[in-house]
Amino acid sequence: MSRKILHGPDDLEPFAGELPHLTDALSRRINTDQEGLERGLAQLVLTIVELLRQLMERQALRRIDGGALSEEQVERLGSTFMELDKRMEQLRHEFGLEEEDLNLNLGPLGNLL
Amino acid sequence: MIELFAIAEYPGPPLPALAPLRAVRAGSLAAICAPAEGVKVTPEALWRHEQVVEALMEDRDLLPVRYGTLVDDDAAAVRAVDARRDELSAALDRVRGAVELSVRAVGDPEDGDGEAAGGRGYLRTKMRSAAAQESVTLSLHKPLAALARADMRRSPRPPSELLRAAYLVDRDAIGAFTRLVARLDDRHPGLQLLCTGPWPPYSFAEA
Repeated sequence: MSRKILHGPDDLEPFAGELPHLTDALSRRINTDQEGLERGLAQLVLTIVELLRQLMERQALRRIDGGALSEEQVERLGSTFMELDKRMEQLRHEFGLEEEDLNLNLGPLGNLL
Repeated sequence: MIELFAIAEYPGPPLPALAPLRAVRAGSLAAICAPAEGVKVTPEALWRHEQVVEALMEDRDLLPVRYGTLVDDDAAAVRAVDARRDELSAALDRVRGAVELSVRAVGDPEDGDGEAAGGRGYLRTKMRSAAAQESVTLSLHKPLAALARADMRRSPRPPSELLRAAYLVDRDAIGAFTRLVARLDDRHPGLQLLCTGPWPPYSFAEA
Protein backbone atom coordinates (compact mmCIF):
# COMPACT_ATOMS: atom_id res chain seq x y z
CA MET A 1 0.00 0.00 0.00
CA SER A 2 2.80 2.44 0.90
CA ARG A 3 4.01 2.35 -2.71
CA LYS A 4 0.76 4.11 -3.58
CA ILE A 5 1.69 7.15 -1.55
CA LEU A 6 3.24 9.68 -3.89
CA HIS A 7 3.42 12.41 -1.30
CA GLY A 8 2.36 12.48 2.33
CA PRO A 9 3.41 13.07 5.91
CA ASP A 10 5.29 10.37 7.88
CA ASP A 11 2.36 10.09 10.22
CA LEU A 12 -0.80 9.20 8.31
CA GLU A 13 -3.03 9.31 11.37
CA PRO A 14 -4.87 12.52 10.33
CA PHE A 15 -5.98 10.73 7.15
CA ALA A 16 -6.92 7.41 8.72
CA GLY A 17 -10.50 8.25 9.72
CA GLU A 18 -11.54 6.51 6.52
CA LEU A 19 -11.12 2.87 7.39
CA PRO A 20 -14.17 2.15 9.54
CA HIS A 21 -16.32 3.84 6.89
CA LEU A 22 -14.90 1.58 4.20
CA THR A 23 -15.81 -1.54 6.16
CA ASP A 24 -19.30 -0.15 6.79
CA ALA A 25 -19.74 0.60 3.13
CA LEU A 26 -18.76 -2.91 2.15
CA SER A 27 -21.21 -4.54 4.52
CA ARG A 28 -23.98 -2.12 3.48
CA ARG A 29 -23.79 -2.12 -0.28
CA ILE A 30 -24.80 -5.74 -0.76
CA ASN A 31 -28.08 -5.45 1.08
CA THR A 32 -31.02 -5.72 -1.31
CA ASP A 33 -33.74 -6.91 1.03
CA GLN A 34 -36.81 -4.96 2.10
CA GLU A 35 -34.88 -3.00 4.69
CA GLY A 36 -32.33 -2.10 2.03
CA LEU A 37 -35.05 -0.76 -0.24
CA GLU A 38 -36.57 1.39 2.50
CA ARG A 39 -33.15 2.72 3.28
CA GLY A 40 -32.64 3.54 -0.40
CA LEU A 41 -35.85 5.56 -0.46
CA ALA A 42 -34.92 7.33 2.76
CA GLN A 43 -31.52 8.09 1.28
CA LEU A 44 -33.09 9.74 -1.74
CA VAL A 45 -35.57 11.80 0.29
CA LEU A 46 -32.94 12.90 2.80
CA THR A 47 -30.61 13.87 -0.04
CA ILE A 48 -33.21 16.28 -1.37
CA VAL A 49 -33.89 17.68 2.11
CA GLU A 50 -30.16 18.08 2.69
CA LEU A 51 -29.83 19.93 -0.64
CA LEU A 52 -32.54 22.40 0.40
CA ARG A 53 -31.03 22.79 3.85
CA GLN A 54 -27.62 23.61 2.42
CA LEU A 55 -29.05 26.05 -0.11
CA MET A 56 -30.97 27.92 2.60
CA GLU A 57 -27.96 27.94 4.88
CA ARG A 58 -25.74 29.40 2.17
CA GLN A 59 -28.37 32.00 1.41
CA ALA A 60 -28.46 32.94 5.10
CA LEU A 61 -24.68 33.21 5.24
CA ARG A 62 -24.72 35.55 2.27
CA ARG A 63 -27.30 37.78 3.90
CA ILE A 64 -25.31 37.93 7.10
CA ASP A 65 -22.18 38.68 5.11
CA GLY A 66 -24.05 41.55 3.49
CA GLY A 67 -24.79 42.93 6.97
CA ALA A 68 -28.53 43.13 6.31
CA LEU A 69 -29.59 41.30 9.47
CA SER A 70 -29.82 42.37 13.10
CA GLU A 71 -27.99 40.48 15.83
CA GLU A 72 -31.27 39.03 17.01
CA GLN A 73 -32.24 37.84 13.53
CA VAL A 74 -28.84 36.22 13.10
CA GLU A 75 -29.19 34.42 16.40
CA ARG A 76 -32.66 33.15 15.46
CA LEU A 77 -31.53 31.97 12.01
CA GLY A 78 -28.50 30.31 13.50
CA SER A 79 -30.50 28.37 16.09
CA THR A 80 -32.94 27.24 13.42
CA PHE A 81 -30.18 25.92 11.20
CA MET A 82 -28.43 24.32 14.12
CA GLU A 83 -31.63 22.46 15.04
CA LEU A 84 -32.15 21.42 11.44
CA ASP A 85 -28.59 20.14 11.28
CA LYS A 86 -29.09 18.10 14.46
CA ARG A 87 -32.39 16.70 13.21
CA MET A 88 -30.81 15.64 9.90
CA GLU A 89 -28.06 13.91 11.80
CA GLN A 90 -30.64 12.00 13.85
CA LEU A 91 -32.51 10.94 10.74
CA ARG A 92 -29.31 9.87 9.03
CA HIS A 93 -28.39 7.86 12.07
CA GLU A 94 -31.80 6.18 12.16
CA PHE A 95 -31.38 4.95 8.61
CA GLY A 96 -27.70 4.10 9.04
CA LEU A 97 -26.58 6.69 6.49
CA GLU A 98 -23.28 8.51 6.36
CA GLU A 99 -23.00 12.15 5.45
CA GLU A 100 -21.65 11.36 1.99
CA ASP A 101 -24.49 8.93 1.33
CA LEU A 102 -26.70 12.00 0.98
CA ASN A 103 -25.42 12.87 -2.42
CA LEU A 104 -26.10 12.04 -6.02
CA ASN A 105 -23.56 11.53 -8.73
CA LEU A 106 -24.77 13.59 -11.67
CA GLY A 107 -22.20 12.14 -14.07
CA PRO A 108 -20.45 14.86 -16.06
CA LEU A 109 -21.97 17.54 -13.80
CA GLY A 110 -20.20 16.10 -10.76
CA ASN A 111 -21.92 15.60 -7.45
CA LEU A 112 -25.17 17.22 -6.38
CA LEU A 113 -23.78 18.41 -3.05
CA MET B 1 -20.97 -16.78 -13.57
CA ILE B 2 -18.07 -14.56 -14.58
CA GLU B 3 -16.76 -11.45 -12.89
CA LEU B 4 -15.94 -8.33 -14.91
CA PHE B 5 -12.80 -6.37 -14.10
CA ALA B 6 -12.39 -3.80 -16.82
CA ILE B 7 -13.35 -2.62 -20.27
CA ALA B 8 -10.36 -2.10 -22.56
CA GLU B 9 -9.53 -2.08 -26.22
CA TYR B 10 -9.43 -5.23 -28.31
CA PRO B 11 -6.85 -6.50 -29.07
CA GLY B 12 -4.59 -5.57 -26.16
CA PRO B 13 -1.28 -6.68 -24.64
CA PRO B 14 -1.11 -10.13 -22.99
CA LEU B 15 -3.15 -10.41 -19.79
CA PRO B 16 -1.33 -10.60 -16.43
CA ALA B 17 -1.23 -14.03 -14.77
CA LEU B 18 -2.74 -12.79 -11.48
CA ALA B 19 -6.07 -14.49 -12.11
CA PRO B 20 -7.48 -16.76 -14.82
CA LEU B 21 -8.27 -13.69 -16.93
CA ARG B 22 -9.81 -13.67 -20.38
CA ALA B 23 -10.57 -10.86 -22.78
CA VAL B 24 -14.05 -11.33 -24.20
CA ARG B 25 -14.22 -9.50 -27.49
CA ALA B 26 -17.07 -7.12 -28.24
CA GLY B 27 -16.10 -5.43 -31.48
CA SER B 28 -13.19 -3.07 -30.86
CA LEU B 29 -13.70 -3.37 -27.08
CA ALA B 30 -12.90 -6.16 -24.68
CA ALA B 31 -14.55 -7.11 -21.42
CA ILE B 32 -11.77 -8.47 -19.25
CA CYS B 33 -13.16 -11.09 -16.93
CA ALA B 34 -12.48 -14.21 -14.90
CA PRO B 35 -14.62 -17.02 -13.47
CA ALA B 36 -16.46 -15.62 -10.43
CA GLU B 37 -14.93 -16.80 -7.17
CA GLY B 38 -18.18 -16.96 -5.27
CA VAL B 39 -20.48 -14.21 -4.20
CA LYS B 40 -19.11 -13.44 -0.77
CA VAL B 41 -18.08 -9.80 -0.44
CA THR B 42 -15.02 -9.35 1.73
CA PRO B 43 -12.33 -6.70 2.04
CA GLU B 44 -9.81 -9.33 0.84
CA ALA B 45 -11.84 -10.04 -2.30
CA LEU B 46 -12.13 -6.31 -2.97
CA TRP B 47 -8.38 -5.92 -2.59
CA ARG B 48 -7.79 -8.84 -5.00
CA HIS B 49 -10.08 -7.19 -7.52
CA GLU B 50 -8.18 -3.94 -7.16
CA GLN B 51 -4.84 -5.67 -7.68
CA VAL B 52 -6.05 -7.26 -10.90
CA VAL B 53 -7.31 -3.95 -12.25
CA GLU B 54 -4.05 -2.25 -11.30
CA ALA B 55 -1.98 -4.94 -13.00
CA LEU B 56 -4.10 -4.51 -16.13
CA MET B 57 -3.68 -0.76 -15.93
CA GLU B 58 0.11 -0.98 -16.10
CA ASP B 59 0.22 -1.58 -19.83
CA ARG B 60 -3.17 -0.59 -21.17
CA ASP B 61 -5.91 2.03 -20.91
CA LEU B 62 -9.06 0.81 -19.28
CA LEU B 63 -12.34 1.62 -17.61
CA PRO B 64 -12.48 -0.12 -14.24
CA VAL B 65 -15.70 -2.05 -13.68
CA ARG B 66 -17.38 -1.70 -10.30
CA TYR B 67 -16.32 -4.47 -7.92
CA GLY B 68 -18.86 -7.26 -7.74
CA THR B 69 -20.19 -6.96 -11.28
CA LEU B 70 -21.18 -10.49 -12.34
CA VAL B 71 -22.72 -11.69 -15.58
CA ASP B 72 -23.94 -15.14 -16.60
CA ASP B 73 -21.52 -15.91 -19.42
CA ASP B 74 -19.42 -14.47 -22.26
CA ALA B 75 -22.49 -13.74 -24.36
CA ALA B 76 -23.99 -11.66 -21.54
CA ALA B 77 -20.71 -9.75 -21.19
CA VAL B 78 -20.77 -8.96 -24.91
CA ARG B 79 -24.38 -7.81 -24.70
CA ALA B 80 -23.56 -5.55 -21.75
CA VAL B 81 -20.73 -3.89 -23.67
CA ASP B 82 -22.69 -3.67 -26.93
CA ALA B 83 -25.58 -1.93 -25.22
CA ARG B 84 -23.33 0.96 -24.16
CA ARG B 85 -20.69 0.78 -26.89
CA ASP B 86 -20.65 4.49 -27.78
CA GLU B 87 -20.55 5.71 -24.19
CA LEU B 88 -17.83 3.22 -23.27
CA SER B 89 -15.69 4.13 -26.28
CA ALA B 90 -16.03 7.82 -25.50
CA ALA B 91 -15.16 7.24 -21.85
CA LEU B 92 -12.13 5.18 -22.85
CA ASP B 93 -11.01 8.04 -25.12
CA ARG B 94 -11.30 10.46 -22.21
CA VAL B 95 -9.00 8.44 -19.95
CA ARG B 96 -6.56 7.28 -22.63
CA GLY B 97 -2.97 7.67 -21.45
CA ALA B 98 -3.96 8.99 -18.04
CA VAL B 99 -4.34 7.70 -14.49
CA GLU B 100 -6.22 8.90 -11.43
CA LEU B 101 -4.39 10.57 -8.57
CA SER B 102 -6.11 11.36 -5.31
CA VAL B 103 -5.32 14.36 -3.14
CA ARG B 104 -6.58 15.06 0.35
CA ALA B 105 -5.73 17.97 2.58
CA VAL B 106 -6.33 18.25 6.30
CA GLY B 107 -5.93 21.31 8.49
CA ASP B 108 -6.42 21.98 12.16
CA PRO B 109 -9.98 21.24 13.17
CA GLU B 110 -12.10 24.26 14.03
CA ASP B 111 -12.05 24.96 17.75
CA GLY B 112 -15.76 24.15 18.01
CA ASP B 113 -16.87 27.18 20.02
CA GLY B 114 -20.01 27.20 17.85
CA GLU B 115 -21.48 24.50 20.05
CA ALA B 116 -21.45 26.70 23.11
CA ALA B 117 -22.23 30.03 21.50
CA GLY B 118 -25.71 29.21 20.20
CA GLY B 119 -27.14 30.22 16.86
CA ARG B 120 -24.66 32.94 16.06
CA GLY B 121 -21.72 30.74 16.96
CA TYR B 122 -23.07 28.00 14.74
CA LEU B 123 -23.29 30.32 11.76
CA ARG B 124 -19.89 31.83 12.52
CA THR B 125 -18.35 28.35 12.46
CA LYS B 126 -20.09 27.67 9.16
CA MET B 127 -18.78 30.90 7.71
CA ARG B 128 -15.24 30.16 8.83
CA SER B 129 -15.35 26.71 7.29
CA ALA B 130 -16.84 28.09 4.06
CA ALA B 131 -14.00 30.61 3.94
CA ALA B 132 -11.41 27.88 4.58
CA GLN B 133 -12.90 25.80 1.76
CA GLU B 134 -12.83 28.75 -0.58
CA SER B 135 -9.21 29.47 0.20
CA VAL B 136 -8.23 25.82 -0.30
CA THR B 137 -9.98 25.88 -3.66
CA LEU B 138 -7.88 28.82 -4.76
CA SER B 139 -4.56 27.79 -3.27
CA LEU B 140 -4.60 24.01 -3.81
CA HIS B 141 -7.33 22.78 -6.08
CA LYS B 142 -6.96 25.34 -8.88
CA PRO B 143 -3.21 24.82 -9.42
CA LEU B 144 -3.57 21.02 -9.23
CA ALA B 145 -6.52 21.01 -11.62
CA ALA B 146 -4.44 23.06 -14.06
CA LEU B 147 -1.99 20.14 -14.35
CA ALA B 148 -4.76 17.59 -14.76
CA ARG B 149 -6.88 16.60 -17.72
CA ALA B 150 -9.99 16.50 -15.56
CA ASP B 151 -10.83 16.77 -11.88
CA MET B 152 -13.55 15.66 -9.52
CA ARG B 153 -14.08 17.14 -6.08
CA ARG B 154 -15.90 15.34 -3.34
CA SER B 155 -17.31 16.77 -0.13
CA PRO B 156 -14.52 16.85 2.43
CA ARG B 157 -15.16 15.15 5.72
CA PRO B 158 -15.44 17.69 8.54
CA PRO B 159 -14.04 18.87 10.82
CA SER B 160 -10.40 18.70 9.71
CA GLU B 161 -10.53 17.67 6.05
CA LEU B 162 -10.53 20.61 3.63
CA LEU B 163 -9.97 19.00 0.26
CA ARG B 164 -10.82 15.62 -1.18
CA ALA B 165 -10.37 15.42 -4.91
CA ALA B 166 -9.41 13.13 -7.76
CA TYR B 167 -7.38 14.27 -10.74
CA LEU B 168 -7.06 12.61 -14.13
CA VAL B 169 -3.36 13.05 -14.90
CA ASP B 170 -1.38 12.07 -18.00
CA ARG B 171 0.94 9.17 -17.20
CA ASP B 172 4.01 11.23 -18.07
CA ALA B 173 2.86 14.13 -15.87
CA ILE B 174 2.64 12.12 -12.62
CA GLY B 175 6.09 13.32 -11.53
CA ALA B 176 5.28 16.97 -12.17
CA PHE B 177 1.96 16.62 -10.36
CA THR B 178 3.59 15.00 -7.32
CA ARG B 179 6.24 17.72 -7.19
CA LEU B 180 3.53 20.37 -7.28
CA VAL B 181 1.77 18.66 -4.35
CA ALA B 182 5.06 18.74 -2.42
CA ARG B 183 5.55 22.44 -3.20
CA LEU B 184 1.99 23.29 -2.17
CA ASP B 185 2.49 21.32 1.04
CA ASP B 186 5.63 23.36 1.81
CA ARG B 187 3.85 26.59 1.06
CA HIS B 188 1.01 25.85 3.51
CA PRO B 189 2.45 24.92 6.89
CA GLY B 190 -1.03 24.71 8.45
CA LEU B 191 -2.12 21.98 6.05
CA GLN B 192 -1.07 18.39 5.49
CA LEU B 193 -1.40 16.92 2.03
CA LEU B 194 -1.69 13.31 1.01
CA CYS B 195 -1.38 12.31 -2.63
CA THR B 196 -1.96 8.69 -3.64
CA GLY B 197 -1.99 6.78 -6.88
CA PRO B 198 -1.71 5.94 -9.64
CA TRP B 199 -5.22 4.49 -9.49
CA PRO B 200 -7.45 3.18 -12.23
CA PRO B 201 -9.63 6.12 -13.36
CA TYR B 202 -12.49 5.25 -11.02
CA SER B 203 -13.79 8.81 -10.78
CA PHE B 204 -13.65 9.42 -14.51
CA ALA B 205 -15.02 6.17 -15.90
CA GLU B 206 -18.69 7.15 -15.72
CA ALA B 207 -19.81 6.99 -19.30
